[in-house]
Amino acid sequence: MENLFSNTLDGYLFLASLLFAIGVLGILIRRNIIIIFMCVELMLSAVNLLLTAFSVHHNDPNGQVFVFFIMAVAAAEITIGLAILVMIYRNTGSVSIDSLKKLKW
Amino acid sequence: MLNLVFLIPLLPLIGFVLLGVFGSKLPKFVSGAIACTTVLVSFLITLTLLGGVLSGSIVSETITYFDWINTDGIYLPMSFLIDPLSVWMMTIITGVGFLIHLYSAGYMSHDEGFARYFTFLNLFVFSMLMLVMGSNFVVMFAGWEGVGFCSYMLIGFWFKNTNYNNAAKKAFIMNRVGDLGFLIGMLLIFVKVGSLEYATVFGQAPLVFESGTTDIVVITLCLFVGAMGKSAQIPLYTWLPDAMAGPTPVSALIHAATMVTAGIYMIVRSNVLYTLAPFTQDFIMIIGLCTALFAATIGLVQNDIKKVLAYSTVSQLGYMFFALGLGAYTTGLFHVTTHAFFKALLFLGSGSVIHAMSGEQDIRSMGGLRKKLPITFLTFLIGTIAIAGIPPFAGFFSKDEILAYAYQRSPILWALGILGALMTTFYMFRMFFLTFFGEFRGTEHQRSHLHESPLIMTLPLMILSILSIAGGFLGVPHVLGGHNWFGHYLSGVAPVKELALDHSTEILLMSISVALVLVVIIIAYVIYVSKKQVPVSEGSTLTTPHRVLYNKYYIDELYDALFSKTLRWKSEWFYKLLEKGGIDSLVNGIGKGVQWSGKTLRMAQTGNISTYLFLMVLGIILLLIITGLLV
Amino acid sequence: MKTIILLSVLGIVAMMADIFKYRAVLWYLVLAGIGAAVGLELLEWNQNMPYYGMLLMDNYAVAFSCIILGLLFVWFLVSRDSYTGQEFNDADHYALILFSSVGALLMVSFVDLSLMFLGIEILSIPLYILAGSRKKDLSSNESSLKYFLMGSFTTGILLFGITLVYGATGTFHIERIASAIGNSTMPVYFYTGIALLVVGFGFKVSAVPFHFWTPDVYQGAPTFITAYMSTIVKTAGFAGFYRLFSTSFSNARMPELMEGTTWSILVIVLIVLTIVIGNLIAAYQTNAKRMLAYSGVAQAGYMLMAVLVSQVEDNTKSSLMLYMASYGLATLAAFTVLYYVQKSKGSDEFEAFTSLGKTNPLLAAVLTISMLSLAGIPPTAGFFAKFYLFTSVLKANPSLLWLVGVAIFGSLVSVYYYFKLIISMYGSDEKSTAEVPTNMAYQFILVAIVLIILFLGIQPGLITNLANL
Repeated sequence: MENLFSNTLDGYLFLASLLFAIGVLGILIRRNIIIIFMCVELMLSAVNLLLTAFSVHHNDPNGQVFVFFIMAVAAAEITIGLAILVMIYRNTGSVSIDSLKKLKW
Repeated sequence: MLNLVFLIPLLPLIGFVLLGVFGSKLPKFVSGAIACTTVLVSFLITLTLLGGVLSGSIVSETITYFDWINTDGIYLPMSFLIDPLSVWMMTIITGVGFLIHLYSAGYMSHDEGFARYFTFLNLFVFSMLMLVMGSNFVVMFAGWEGVGFCSYMLIGFWFKNTNYNNAAKKAFIMNRVGDLGFLIGMLLIFVKVGSLEYATVFGQAPLVFESGTTDIVVITLCLFVGAMGKSAQIPLYTWLPDAMAGPTPVSALIHAATMVTAGIYMIVRSNVLYTLAPFTQDFIMIIGLCTALFAATIGLVQNDIKKVLAYSTVSQLGYMFFALGLGAYTTGLFHVTTHAFFKALLFLGSGSVIHAMSGEQDIRSMGGLRKKLPITFLTFLIGTIAIAGIPPFAGFFSKDEILAYAYQRSPILWALGILGALMTTFYMFRMFFLTFFGEFRGTEHQRSHLHESPLIMTLPLMILSILSIAGGFLGVPHVLGGHNWFGHYLSGVAPVKELALDHSTEILLMSISVALVLVVIIIAYVIYVSKKQVPVSEGSTLTTPHRVLYNKYYIDELYDALFSKTLRWKSEWFYKLLEKGGIDSLVNGIGKGVQWSGKTLRMAQTGNISTYLFLMVLGIILLLIITGLLV
Repeated sequence: MKTIILLSVLGIVAMMADIFKYRAVLWYLVLAGIGAAVGLELLEWNQNMPYYGMLLMDNYAVAFSCIILGLLFVWFLVSRDSYTGQEFNDADHYALILFSSVGALLMVSFVDLSLMFLGIEILSIPLYILAGSRKKDLSSNESSLKYFLMGSFTTGILLFGITLVYGATGTFHIERIASAIGNSTMPVYFYTGIALLVVGFGFKVSAVPFHFWTPDVYQGAPTFITAYMSTIVKTAGFAGFYRLFSTSFSNARMPELMEGTTWSILVIVLIVLTIVIGNLIAAYQTNAKRMLAYSGVAQAGYMLMAVLVSQVEDNTKSSLMLYMASYGLATLAAFTVLYYVQKSKGSDEFEAFTSLGKTNPLLAAVLTISMLSLAGIPPTAGFFAKFYLFTSVLKANPSLLWLVGVAIFGSLVSVYYYFKLIISMYGSDEKSTAEVPTNMAYQFILVAIVLIILFLGIQPGLITNLANL
């Protein structure tokens, strides 16, 4: 472990990757659409964390500006997502991703 | 006269557009007239070109209309090459094409899809003209695909035919395999030579490629695979007999006279490349000879009048490739010409018979038609004699020239060639006698409907029979006092191969082949006219009571043993085991394989988002692993 | 830049149509606006205007913007019929489509990864809504949900890729990334970042194995939204893909890996999978809309070949332009015909097309020519697009002949299913002899599209020469 974190940047890289992987795993195994949205947010947060770390590392403010872009876009995206979810809940009465699998093959 | 060249393909195209847009609203007479007139005018313009070529005022002209592609590295003009070869092909296409258009106007007059039929027929003539007129491989390929498309649409013209689906599918897959070869050959030429213009490619080829190197052999083989698909050679030939599902004039035009000879045209056109690749030439020779023999044996036992002609076409195409493989390019094209005349004649004649028989195609149900259909009978007889190769009919000269070249290479090749010719003679006369001689064997209903076809159908028959009689005089060999005019006509495009046989040998060979052909005709006459033998249904052998009768004629039994037994056995074996079992199942296997893999692969598309995401993540991991391996 | 502003304003104008009651003239207004946008775009030709290091209007950007605007113009022309019915609120739809197109324009002209990201999102977010715009229809709901979930998941992947590239090079500017790479050895996570960017773009252009959303979303979404997604969105996706990878990563190679770059192997894997799987599954479809979706997947495989050789051969961009233009036009024409058939017969299975050749010869001819173009049969534009692409691949790297062989094999399989549709149109069936009602104006537009396809087949130089000017 000593070697792994000898460079501080590697620590952030490791943490962000871990968070990202947890997000991906959550998306894969959860069935509730709302939880899946949250997992997507987790992935984006991991990215934000890493961007900030790189930004400080390179002494370049662009990375932090990018974080704000991501936040704004994520907010817009999740709004749309919730709207779609409401529409689906009205039609099917369920928020499980298994409720819709008519289109296939 | 060269400034009218663009009209030659344009007129049929205009006909296609007019008929395609207004066809359903025009009366049949007008649609037929549009279709025929456009092709006729093209033919007349082509004749002026032919006059120019003959008088020597046109040697080889490239007419560029516009630059198709002109960017760095690729220059492709949209241009036509007018030289003896292309003009000759154009004459056949528009001339025979016009006659068949005329015939179709009568043949299809009761069909509700009359306008649609002529729409595609005109489009076909246009595409075929593009194929032979283009001055580079891309224009040729455009025509190549165009004729394939029209053929595909016309095979399936009558949807009610239950075999249509399989026939179309088979024609389709085999032509695709061929196209794959053609396209790869074309791309390779482009990569190696840097151009697809004939002038550049053939000019550069001797400098770029050394004779017999892998490059040129691969290129020529790829192109030949294209020819195998389009011109129905082993193993890509089984689509042609099945293509008979289309209307008979279509079989005459597309599947006998023009489209299937596209492969031969292509090889003659690129003869410079083929001469550089002796291996490919030998390969073509073997494939051609095998196809000629193989298809002929199958033809011996067919009972469908069009199937017999179809197998005969495959066999004759084999002869043409045989000639090309021997290096006798001009001879191959000579056979294309005579074959176009007599095979179109035979197909149209069979169409006339089918027309009279209310759609019946089985020769076992025909017989004695010569009294009812005198003109058809006479013209059919001319066609049959021409294909059998009796002098002075057209087939004799072209076939004999091929056989002479074969003898020059090796007497065994000559003997095999003769064998094929004899089988051709036998099955053609078998069909001829069964159809026109003896007693009528059809139903009473059919008997009452028997009638000679109208003049619009018999006129093309008469013209074609004149051509079938006289066509051979285009290439009378030196030994018979001619000077092989046809070979000299084409000498600017393809070199005439030296024929170093002395005259007595040549005369001897001719006499042997003619004598054997006559003997075979007599045998066929004895079996099918004197003895009135009618083939029984496929598969069952002759019964014992019949055998007693046969013993009275010793000679009959000999030929029975020779033809009806061994050959029948052999040809049925070929037909059943190889064609149905081997090639068909291979083609169907490819089709099924595609279908099966499509069916299996789409199982991954479960409709469930979790599965999709999971598979996507697997894909991401795959890419990351590859990256990891590389870094 | 002016075009982007104009198009955004146009979107806002469309949104306000209901408030200020000019919905009746909105369609004309939008068409005029797009026409003006093309004009403004052409003014930027040869200007090479950099906009604060974020956008660069070089000729590549202008040419692709024009293709996108042209396709958008055609889209508005042919889709009007579906919005004059009461089913949709046309003003909202037009606004969303226009906003989405702004994203497409950003994707072809970015020089900064942040703008690329914004472009992708602006392009996608309105589409999530549009895919689900039939609120009561479960297929539409499902299409929307699938698109959204998988799209936002990919956004995360793409962002992670951008972050890793940024971490390794310290910049978002695509040219500075290239110079930062130089000849120095990059950390491993840089190559991981590139791989994730390939995944992100692979998803947007629906390359196998990131294509799973495509058939379902295309089938469930309203037909014209599908048409929009499979033409303009795909064009923008490829233009962005090509721009980023040809500029930034053309020298992203390990010193010991002499031939090609690390990512070119990844792209080759995607190409082979996409061409083979896309075509094979398409051959099994019986639903025309779904068949077109899979054919879109398969076509992406050929287009990826342009990205593959972007690093070596400069004029592949002209091949890509020709391919996108011919594919886009043919697909738009095909979807328009599909829309009318679906509207009158209530089905988009192959059987619904039976005897279209007899009842509506014009529609049948239009569909035939667009299928021939998609299949790459001369003399349509599609043939030259493929021919051009294949030769540029061979010229860039002759050892890729096997890949061209796979591509030709795939295109031969594709002829099978495109012809299946043609054959079913010219088949006759006594039951379905009812004519599909169409409007004279749309027929005229369709004929114009087909003529352009044929004209591009005769004069492909019009587009291919653009990139060399």
